[in-house]
Amino acid sequence: MNIEKFISEFADQFDDLDTSSFTAETLFKENDEWSSMTALSVIAMVDDVYAVRLTGDDIRNSKVIQDIYDIVLKKSNS
Amino acid sequence: MVEESDAEFILSLRTDPVHARYLTHTDNNLQKQIEWIRAYKKREKKRQEYYFLFSDHDYQPLGVIRLYDITADTYTSGSWIIKPGCDEFVSIKSDLFISEFAASELKNKRCVFDVRKDNKKVLRFHKMFATITGEDELNYYFTIDEESVKRKVSFLISIIQPKT
Repeated sequence: MNIEKFISEFADQFDDLDTSSFTAETLFKENDEWSSMTALSVIAMVDDVYAVRLTGDDIRNSKVIQDIYDIVLKKSNS
Repeated sequence: MVEESDAEFILSLRTDPVHARYLTHTDNNLQKQIEWIRAYKKREKKRQEYYFLFSDHDYQPLGVIRLYDITADTYTSGSWIIKPGCDEFVSIKSDLFISEFAASELKNKRCVFDVRKDNKKVLRFHKMFATITGEDELNYYFTIDEESVKRKVSFLISIIQPKT
């Protein structure tokens, strides 16, 4: 896994927001577009691309993109 | 089920320029919304349509979802909209609820529905389980059979009730 690629895939789940400044440290819930639909879209993307099942708690307990990346990395290695 | 008293909340959701842009246009007219719900309640009584409002533990409304166009073989699921700022579980729980309701109340029927092509978030989710049967300039048209609904329900449950 590669964090740059993951940030790009994560950013793709936002349709309107300018995500060009997204980094691993981006607080991804602190914008107008974040919603429970975006959360579901992120879960679907991770399931599709990484064959990893994120849970609602994984999303709920994460603040920055790096948090989600670390969870996906850990689950994909287990 | 939705009641006339929910008209103001539903209107606020459906006239939100950002979050309702993928739904059929709704006039910003409370009286019209009340009349629409009044007509809907007659369809509900005949079991022709089901319009659900979901709320939080304090009974504060969070969103709506609807089953309609119920025929001998098919039904449509749509009008799905959730208030911004809700907990991450709300979209999952609402879809889980409607899938389970349809499985028990609309047995042996196939769900057919359309999703706007630029509604990327909802498209990504539905593409995991449903099959695209057609498209036009505006929409993709989907169908999902009972087996795929079961897979989806299992997926959604695994998100909100993970195995420890």
